[in-house]
Amino acid sequence: MRTAVFDPRVLRRHILHMAYHGRSAHLGCALSLVEICAALFSEGMQYDRSDPLAPERDLLVLSKGHGVLALYACFRELGWVSDEDFSNYLGNGTRLRGASEADVPGCEVTSGSLGHGLPVAVGMAFGLLLGQTKRRVWCVVGDGEMNEGAMWEAMLFAAHRRLGNLTVIVDANGFQAMGQTEEVLGMEPLASKFTAFGFETVECDGHDVSAIASALRSEQETQSAPRAVIARTVKGHGVSFMASDNRWHYTRLNDDTLAAALEELR
Amino acid sequence: MRHAISPLFLESADDDDRFLVLSGDHGYELFDALRSRHPDRFVNVGVAEQSMVGIAAGLCRTGFRPCIYGLASFVPLRVLEQVKIDLCYGSLPVMILGDGAGLVYSVLGASHQCGEDVACLRALPNIAIYSPCDAHELRACWSEARQGSHPSYIRIGKSHPDDIHTRPVSGTSPVVVSEAGPSSARSVIVATGAMVRVGLQFARAHGIRCISVPRLKPVPAELIPLLGDAQRVAVLEEHVSAGGLWSLVLEMIQSVGILRPPRVEPFGLRDAFTQTAGDHQHALSEHGLDDGQIAERLIRWLDANPPAEAAE
Repeated sequence: MRTAVFDPRVLRRHILHMAYHGRSAHLGCALSLVEICAALFSEGMQYDRSDPLAPERDLLVLSKGHGVLALYACFRELGWVSDEDFSNYLGNGTRLRGASEADVPGCEVTSGSLGHGLPVAVGMAFGLLLGQTKRRVWCVVGDGEMNEGAMWEAMLFAAHRRLGNLTVIVDANGFQAMGQTEEVLGMEPLASKFTAFGFETVECDGHDVSAIASALRSEQETQSAPRAVIARTVKGHGVSFMASDNRWHYTRLNDDTLAAALEELR
Repeated sequence: MRHAISPLFLESADDDDRFLVLSGDHGYELFDALRSRHPDRFVNVGVAEQSMVGIAAGLCRTGFRPCIYGLASFVPLRVLEQVKIDLCYGSLPVMILGDGAGLVYSVLGASHQCGEDVACLRALPNIAIYSPCDAHELRACWSEARQGSHPSYIRIGKSHPDDIHTRPVSGTSPVVVSEAGPSSARSVIVATGAMVRVGLQFARAHGIRCISVPRLKPVPAELIPLLGDAQRVAVLEEHVSAGGLWSLVLEMIQSVGILRPPRVEPFGLRDAFTQTAGDHQHALSEHGLDDGQIAERLIRWLDANPPAEAAE
């Protein structure tokens, strides 16, 4: 088996190929996530590369389930999805669907209906704390998803129960389904909101793997506060004609756009 | 029946280190005994029912066996989508105890009343639904739910001081609580939850068979043989008839394909919210279901639609 390196260019090519094979939408929200996933899999999380269900693994919860192509791209590097999964993506009867599904090893939760992943992640972190393990929970949420009230309920609980084993990473790409987040329902200032809700919060460039990795690993002031990393990203990042163009939340690739996008990622 | 809940919490916590109870700031003294003996096994998540269900799912996925307590209006109704996605979809063994179901909170109005929980949950895959009538049935339902490898909902309706059964019941199948007299085998009362009491009173007084149905899902197919040659069945429930036990009985009869199917009469909540304040019996009266109204309606039901055999 080849060694997984999580090169963002390679991950983006995987995303494009899968989206093309599956005639999938939701490209922009996966492309903004690539470096976050790369940092988590290369340096942030404790896990067994040979076994996505290893009992002592950290738990990665993709709460913004529509970005699941970025996870599948990492799974592809790890050999957790097969060539067949890859080339038959979204084909009739296949196992990988268009949002995170708990029955896919590595995914941990079912999300896609927004506002579900973080409460479940908080319950997991609480359970791991009660079980006195060193395992952590890493939960990736969207800035648009932060519209959901259940997210803030879960954050209150995480701080109240001192879940120092929880890190929430916000893929702050500034867009949601129908427009710019600040135009639809303003969520900023996200960092001070997380801080006000009892999180230790840092911001970073969400397309700089080493910056994200150091934010994920940075020294905690206390062991008892949940952590938040606000990763500033660009929706559709990595392909010039997709970047910050919300049409790529919905648009499918054709032969020409696939070729043009791959050309940029050679 | 409600007095039986606290001991079940305590026993389950004694028996199983993985057992936890979550509440969305409801229940007050109900958890005192549990908190006293196992302070770490009770989690008040605050007035945050949506995240409570997700948190329970996360606890379950890390090895715990949570029970979510709430008022039925809020859990499962308010959080129906969390129940669907977080619990049912993954078929997680999480229990839900929905207290105050039906019109128990008569004085607080429609916000606290819940006559639609069973209909909503019946449509969700993987979840078991229980509607016990007394402490004995509650214990049987609890035991089955605790042993299940899937989510369960136990509906707690109006709690009456006296039990229906005189001794423990062995399972959750439909059970005959009153036998038919020699001349009345053609009429049967089928009831669930708090409505078994009034159904049983009438059945005893008139010598007709009365059956309690504590488990609503998986489908209580064992009910059909207990109906015998009944030509008319009255279905009593503190829940809307459409989607509740009345629908369930009709569906079962239809799917079995009985040669001469009985006429099945609904005695459930009307398709309307209650409009005025008052006690529990008053709230039921708005639906034609207070004790006196039910007795009158059952008399008319017995008198009308004579059994086919008698008409021949």
